[in-house]
Amino acid sequence: METFLGKIKDRISVNFDLEKSSIDIEKKRVDVQIRKEQIPSILRYMKENMSFRHLMHASVVDWLEEGKFEVIFMLWAPKEKIRVFVRTKLDRENPIMENLDMIWPQLNTYEREFKEMYGIEFTGLVAPEEFILEDWDGPPPMRRDFDTEAYAKDVFSERIGREDAQDVRETIAKRSGEVIPDFAKKHSR
Amino acid sequence: MDYGIYQDKLTRIVSDIARSHSLWVLAYGTGCGAIEVPATMTSRYDAERLGVRGAATPRQADVLMITGYLTVKTLKRVIRVYEQMQDPKYVIGFGSCAINGGMYWDSYNTIKQLDLYLPVDVYISGCMPRPEAVLEGFAKLQEQIKAGEAIGATKYKENLDYYRGNQKKIIKNWDFPDYNW
Repeated sequence: METFLGKIKDRISVNFDLEKSSIDIEKKRVDVQIRKEQIPSILRYMKENMSFRHLMHASVVDWLEEGKFEVIFMLWAPKEKIRVFVRTKLDRENPIMENLDMIWPQLNTYEREFKEMYGIEFTGLVAPEEFILEDWDGPPPMRRDFDTEAYAKDVFSERIGREDAQDVRETIAKRSGEVIPDFAKKHSR
Repeated sequence: MDYGIYQDKLTRIVSDIARSHSLWVLAYGTGCGAIEVPATMTSRYDAERLGVRGAATPRQADVLMITGYLTVKTLKRVIRVYEQMQDPKYVIGFGSCAINGGMYWDSYNTIKQLDLYLPVDVYISGCMPRPEAVLEGFAKLQEQIKAGEAIGATKYKENLDYYRGNQKKIIKNWDFPDYNW
């Protein structure tokens, strides 16, 4: 089994040029980063030629500082019990990817979610316009530069009586004379 | 001598007592608070001894419980449900999210003042309110009904413009039918 785990990276890197890759023998986990053009072919290759039949999850990370969206596909080989993370980075200004739901039909749902929550476009995606959000006309709400607090203040009125809401930890510490160390202050809520 | 006015009053008092002991709650949970309802209904706290029990459809129900946070999307459905319910009808705001947004105070899709959109008769505080608190809320509602104070539905009809205005402010695609009460 270990030999298969060791060979995965080699077998992938023969066929695809990886930007980054790492392997964790103990956790049976392989991590590869690849250009977005190669995502359909690598996913198909993993599914059909390397026994990674199961798509565990697909997810997006918003790297606001880098100006990138990172799309992650987590694959699972049921027999060998190995997971592979396939990552790709998209331009944040113009996040476009190819539609992938012919490989795993359940990717259709993920893609609709990414489209709605992050504004990532999938060329060739056939799906209804709305997914979870109804009548939404603001920016995609899961993007990190979307200020939910300001939006909520703008749209929903607040009930009077919450303005003086205090930090629970600090208030109790002040009352009991406890000293919170500096490093713990920020995370003490 | 005209006894009509006394008869009306007597009818009202008797029917209010009867109503207060037969509160059918619509089996509709908006948020996580719905998990406390089974605990309230089942044998340990046994809400049915107060006449509180579940109802399957809005037309059979007397009480609409807003159990927990209410998103804009759900609010649209809740308003439709509330307007389908028949008089007498009462609304219970359940948990701190229904009161002032609770932990969702900065969420982009959770309303923070339920009584802007629906007439609330009783609020139950807590996150979550324990079944005891829920029962106390129902007891409070019963008191209000007996005293003839639970007139949220009448208020809603009288001030429909106010409620409609607030509802239309946050529900963007308004596709409700016009009612003629």
